[in-house]
Parts: sequence; C-alpha cells; structure tokens
Amino acid sequence: MGSKQSIFTAQQLDAYQVGGTPPEDFLVLFYRYRDLAPQLVPLDYTKEPDVKLPYELIGSMPELKDNPFRQRIAEVFSEDGEGNMSLDDFLDMFSVLSEMAPRDLKAYYAFKIYDFNNDDFLCKSDLEKTLTKLTRGELGEDEVKMVCEKVMDEADLDNDGRLSLEDFQHMIVRAPDFLSTFHIRI
Amino acid sequence: MISELQRQHSRGEYNYVAGDGYPGDHHSLRLRRLSSQMSIHDFPHYNPSLSDAGDSEAGDHGQPRDLRSLPLPMAIKKAKLKSRGIQVPVLSKVELWKQEKLKKLRKFQTKAREFLYFLVLWGKTIQKIGGNFGGGVKSYFLFLRFLVVLNFVSFLLIAGFVIIPSLVFRQVGTSFMNSTGNERCTIYEPNPPGLVVFYNFFLDLLSGTGFMEYSFMFYGYYKNTMVENNSFSYKIPLAYLFTAVFYFAFCLICIIARMGTAARVAVATGGSTVVNYSMTVFNGWNFGCLGETATKLKQKNLLYRLQVDLEEESLKKRAASLTLLKKFGLHSLRLLMALLVLGLNIAAFYGISYATTYSQEQQNKRVNKESDRIQDLFFEYLPSIVISVANFLVPLLCDQIAKVEHYSPSITVIVALLRAVVLRFVGLGVLLFTLWDQITCTGNMDDAKCKECSYNYASYACWETRVGQEMYKLTLFDLLINIAVLVLVEFPRRMVVDNWSSKVSQLVGRQEFVVSSNVLGLVYSQTVVWTGALFCPLLPLINTVKFVILFYCKKITLFSNCRPPQKTFRSTTSAFFFLVVLLLGWMLASVVMIYSIAVIHPSRGCGPFRFSDNMWLIIPTSFYNLSAATQEFLFFIGSQAFTIPLFSLSGLVMCYVIALFSIYGKSVGLLRLQLKRESRDKQFLVKQIEELSR
Repeated sequence: MGSKQSIFTAQQLDAYQVGGTPPEDFLVLFYRYRDLAPQLVPLDYTKEPDVKLPYELIGSMPELKDNPFRQRIAEVFSEDGEGNMSLDDFLDMFSVLSEMAPRDLKAYYAFKIYDFNNDDFLCKSDLEKTLTKLTRGELGEDEVKMVCEKVMDEADLDNDGRLSLEDFQHMIVRAPDFLSTFHIRI
Repeated sequence: MISELQRQHSRGEYNYVAGDGYPGDHHSLRLRRLSSQMSIHDFPHYNPSLSDAGDSEAGDHGQPRDLRSLPLPMAIKKAKLKSRGIQVPVLSKVELWKQEKLKKLRKFQTKAREFLYFLVLWGKTIQKIGGNFGGGVKSYFLFLRFLVVLNFVSFLLIAGFVIIPSLVFRQVGTSFMNSTGNERCTIYEPNPPGLVVFYNFFLDLLSGTGFMEYSFMFYGYYKNTMVENNSFSYKIPLAYLFTAVFYFAFCLICIIARMGTAARVAVATGGSTVVNYSMTVFNGWNFGCLGETATKLKQKNLLYRLQVDLEEESLKKRAASLTLLKKFGLHSLRLLMALLVLGLNIAAFYGISYATTYSQEQQNKRVNKESDRIQDLFFEYLPSIVISVANFLVPLLCDQIAKVEHYSPSITVIVALLRAVVLRFVGLGVLLFTLWDQITCTGNMDDAKCKECSYNYASYACWETRVGQEMYKLTLFDLLINIAVLVLVEFPRRMVVDNWSSKVSQLVGRQEFVVSSNVLGLVYSQTVVWTGALFCPLLPLINTVKFVILFYCKKITLFSNCRPPQKTFRSTTSAFFFLVVLLLGWMLASVVMIYSIAVIHPSRGCGPFRFSDNMWLIIPTSFYNLSAATQEFLFFIGSQAFTIPLFSLSGLVMCYVIALFSIYGKSVGLLRLQLKRESRDKQFLVKQIEELSR
C-alpha cells in the first residue's frame, strides 16, 4: 500500500481536489476502484495510465449492485457512454453522488441518468423506462401510461410534450430531500 | 435548440482551448478524444462567466469551488486547471491561514453536531428504526420520546413545588384545624386497623389502596401546611393549585411549539396534493438504498404509493360520473353505515358507564376485608377492561364497515382515525362522567346522600383520592395489556408464521406495526395522566416509567416480530395530526380540571383544600394577604382600564401577522410564476443567439 504521494504526483492530487473530490475520500475511493480489479489497476498513477474497468465490475460494487439505475449511472459518468469507467470517471461519479456536491450539479446528472435515449429531453419513453425500473415492472401498462401523463401535466412547463432540463430543475427545486436521496455513501 | 448545439460539437469537432501543461502527446490524445464528445461551451446553464478568458480572477480561492460545481468530467476540469497555469496554490499566507481556520471550524461543527445527536435520548435507536421501517413508524417513536420528556419535566415541576416542600414542611409547618360544621364529614380512615396478609401488599400496589392510599401518591395525604418565616412563606395548598395550573399551561406550550415545527415542515414540503406524481417518480428513489431486501421494499413502497394515487384519481372520476340515482344510493348507504357506527359507539359507551357504576358500587360495598380479593381486583379493573375491549373491537368492526362505504383510500384512513379518536375520548369522558355522577349525586345537592357534606360522603370519604386511584388503575392496566399482548400474541404469531408454513400462516403473515392505533393509545394514556395529575401527583412519574418500558417493548417487538410496512403512512402530515389529537386530549383533561377546581366541593376529611368550599377559593383568601401595593397592581391588571387596551393591542398585532402571512403566501406564488417565466425567457434568448450566430 502506498501513500498518496507515491501513487500520484502532487499536481495530480491538486487537480483532483479542485475537480471535486475531497482529500479525505480520495485515497479511499482509489483503493475501492483498485479493489474491483487489482490486476488491471496499477499502483503507480504518476504516468497516468489509461485504465478502464468494464461495466460488469463497476456494476458489481455493493453500493450499486442493487440499484435499478446502476447501468444508467455508469453510462452517464463514463467517457465512452458504455459504462466502462476510468479512475477519473469513477471519482467524478462519487463526487457528484457525495453529500458535498451542490444541488444544481446533482439535478443535472439526475436528469442525464433518467434520460435513457440521451437526447437531453425526458420524453414519454424515458419516463416509462424510469417507472419500470422504479417499480420492478409490476405496474400495469395502463397505469404506467396514466402516471406518465400525470407527470407530463405536472412538470412540463413549456408544453412541448417532453421535459427539458429546466422543467426538471424547476420541479426538483421543490423537493427538500433531493440532496439526501441522490446520495451514495462510500 | 440546446441539443442541436451539443450535437454539433459532438461530431469530432475539436474546439477545446487546449492548455499545454501536459507533458506529452499521450495526454493531449485523451483530451482530444474527450472533447470530441462535448466541449465546455455545451453547458450554458452553469455560469458562462466562468468558461472564461480568465481575466476576472479577483478571488482565487473562489475559483476552485466554482470549478467543482461545473458538471464537467474530471479530465476536462484538470485540463482547465492546467490551462489557467495552476493558480490555485498561489495564495497569500493570510488567506491560507484563514482558509485553514474555516475548514477546521467547519469540521468541528460537523463533529459537534454528530456528538449532540449521540447525546440525544435514543437518537441512534430512532434513526435505526427510521431506516429499517420508514417514516411513519419513526414518527411514532419520536412522539413517544416527546411524551417521555414532557412527563419527566412535569414530574420535576410537581416534585419541586409540591412533593418536596410537602415532605420538608410536614413537620415544620402549621396546619390549622378549622373545625366548623359537620364533624362527621371529616372522618377519613384509609388504613383500617387489623392485620394485613402479605399478598395484600401486591394487590394494594395494583389497585392503589391500602398502604398506597395514604401516601404521597394521592391527594389525600397532603395537608394544608403553611410555613411562614420572616422572609419566606410557603403555602402548600396554593403551591398545589398553582403547580397544577402551570403544569397544564406548560404542556400546552410544549404541544403548540412542537405543532409549530411540524406545521413548518409540512408547509415547506409544499402542498402535498399538488405535485404528487413527478415527485414520486423523480425523487422517490433513494440512491443510498443498499441490499436486495431494502431495494425490493422500496420498490414495493413506490408501487403502492403510485397505485394509491391512481386509485384515488379513478375513484374521483367514477364519483363524478355517477348518475343521480347511484349517488343517492351511495350517500344513503354511507349514512346508514355512519348510523351503524354511531350505534356501536353508543353501545360501547353504555357498557363503559355500566361497568364503572357496578365497579364503584362493589368498591363501596367492600366492608368485609376477608372477601375474595381476586374478585375484588377484577371488579376494580372492570372499567379498564371494558374500555380496552371496546377500543379493540369497535375499530375492528368499523374497518369492516368501511369496506362497504367505498371512500377513497386517503379519506378511509382519515375517517377510521377520527372514529377511533372519538371512541377513545368519549369513552374516557363517559367514565369520568359516571364517576362524577356517583360523587356528586348527579349534581343534585339535595339528594339524601350528598346533603350533609355536599358530596357523597358515604361512598367517598376522600373522593379525590378515589378519582386518582381510578386514573392510576387505567394507566397500569394499559401497560399490563400492552405487555400481555406482546408476550401472548405477537411473539407466538411470529413463531407460528416462521416455523409452520401453511396457507393460513402465509395469508396472515408477520404483523405490521400499525402506527395510528398505537399513537391513539399513547394519546389516550397521556390524557388519563393529565386528568389524574391533580389527584395523583406522582402520576407523571409513573407515566414516564411506563412510557420508557413501552418504548423498549415496542422496539423489541418491532425488530423481532414485525415486517416493514409496505403501505406507507404520510409522515409529514401525520406528526401534525398526532399533536392535534394530543391537544384534544389536553382540552378534555383541562375541562375536568377546571370543573374539579371550581365547582366540586373538596373532601372535608383529606387533602390540602379540606377547609374551603372550592379549591379555587384559596387564591382569593391568600390574595388578601399580599401587600397593598401588589393588590392594587393586580386589581389594576384585572380592571377594564388595562384589559381593553391590551385586547385591542393584541387584536392589532394579530391582524398584522395575518396580513403578513397572506402577503408571504402571495409572494411565494408570484415567485413561482417568475421562475416559470424565466426559464421561458432563457430558452427564447438561446433561440435568438442561435439565429443571430447563423
């Protein structure tokens, strides 16, 4: 086990700190990342190796294993959009999901997670997929349709049939516990 | 609009202002790959001033935080940092020191807060309960904790002002004997002579008689001792009365303060009826949920919530679309069911009244000490037994009736709760009324039994003690029943369900912790304590102990026997509801207290008020002992010259507060509208920019 200085250069540490990871969690996160695949992740990051862990490993983490949205989370935070995450992506993910991240940032990423087809709008199909994941597919088809309609009615402010980021943020602003529900502790 | 912008840049366009701090092609390669997907200019929602020419860098230490709030991938943030030439470490020594101190202060604050949570009574346990069983069950335990603290503080109050002075001044003070009028009425012998068998001790403990009757437990033991030194005077009767009144006022203030906080939470979370579905869908999932069972449970919760909301919608639609005839049929059915419920309640009340009368008669008849003590005990506890049975059976029947009534789910819950509340409070009221009936011969002072001493002396030598004993028995029986149900019903049910798998046990399943009936039980116990506090000063202490035992018993049964609730109870509004019901109980108890203080003649043979016609009369008599200046001042406060300006001033203040309240409500509505409009303005402006840049 090396100390911070032997794995990363001082510049890298500064950059990571500015980028959003608090220094206390940094080494913890790095070791968690490494524990997923010790043979792939080197202990020496000073040369900035290009290592990406495949989605299957990320999705097997105990914090994400049972989350119905784990695939979307991995996809949103990964560079290639497929769920394969480098250390940077990993740190990004946990910094946004930590308790220190500001509300706007969390709302932005929550929007992206619920946006299944990546078109920067939450359309009916995105909502349907979200509902299915939320209720484990046990909600009937008509019920799903009705709930989607209701959600559109309530949240769609510009009446274009789909939710933009503003609509989403405007709605999330009214949820006082959003910061605590959109939070994974590691 | 925005999406088009983004799509433009995602097609391999490399317009990232590449900083060249990176040593080597290897890194810029990755950067290029990254920027092919997105660029900094794709995030117009976040502080465009920061995506930057870097000239407005007034506060360097403000920068890192802003960078952190940008939704950029880590690599781009690092690159941005490099592009600015790593200005972060360049801070003056003073700034650095300030930052360090701020950081340390913040850390200390969080640690202090954590420590305080640890010190709070049962803080960890309640958090664990909330995590495992949800907000509804947690609110029950929070309520229970509030009652424990309230009772304990009230006990300290009473102990400090009544019990301890009574103890101390008993030998020292003077208690004058003002023997005018009937000698007969002043005879009070709580400890009849003769040998007492040892098991009587235990039976006395259960029924509050015998050694317990003439003790600090009950009103009858206190004398009207008055201590008057040169500088210090203390009158026990005055202290007793004032403490009782202050105890009620103190409980009222606590309840209202807590209602204020609960109401604030309910208002802050907004009208819960307004934005239901989107909140459930987007904010319903707790990302910190770990483990398969917890996840499944949460999903079931969400499913249930959505289904309930949908069902309410469909019911509303169906109700609106009913033909006139069907509506008439439905309403008349509901009326019939309401009458049926009323009939059930009246039957229960009659049962309670009859049981109380019979029990009192049996107790008054008990002359022969060698009669069957167990049977006597049964008769003494008869009212409590009948009340408990009624409180169990009638809601059960009402639940079945509610299935016929076809109300929407939320209304069904509210109606069931209201019925249970009415049953409990009116039941208690009936018991008290029956007691009053017996004591004061139905208020008829010319009745043979009450003529002599202005209360029913023959049966009640010391009626306050007897009322105190009844309240004590109610409290005790409630605790015993809870423990008995725990041991005899809940644990066996769990063992049967777990070990014997058959269809029946699958159907029945492990039990759920029903919050509403448990809360009503708590409110009922607290009301009993309030009613009895005037006559049994130690009752708050007994109640504190009882609630503590109850806490641990309920906790044990919760974790061992109950399954987590699938049907969630809306916890924000329900905390407020519990307090409203508690307030109703307080009002009932205060009516009893006011009536006992102002109207009924105190017992002539016992207690600190034995020589006045009313408990209240001690105040005017001691009033005239105050100095002339104080008397004048108090008279002035009571006179019209003072009260009328006071009332008009408070009326003015109330109008001002109401006006402020309505203005705030309106401004909140206006601000919401403004928010909506701003987002539209933003979109309009982006469109304009797009058009102009073409």
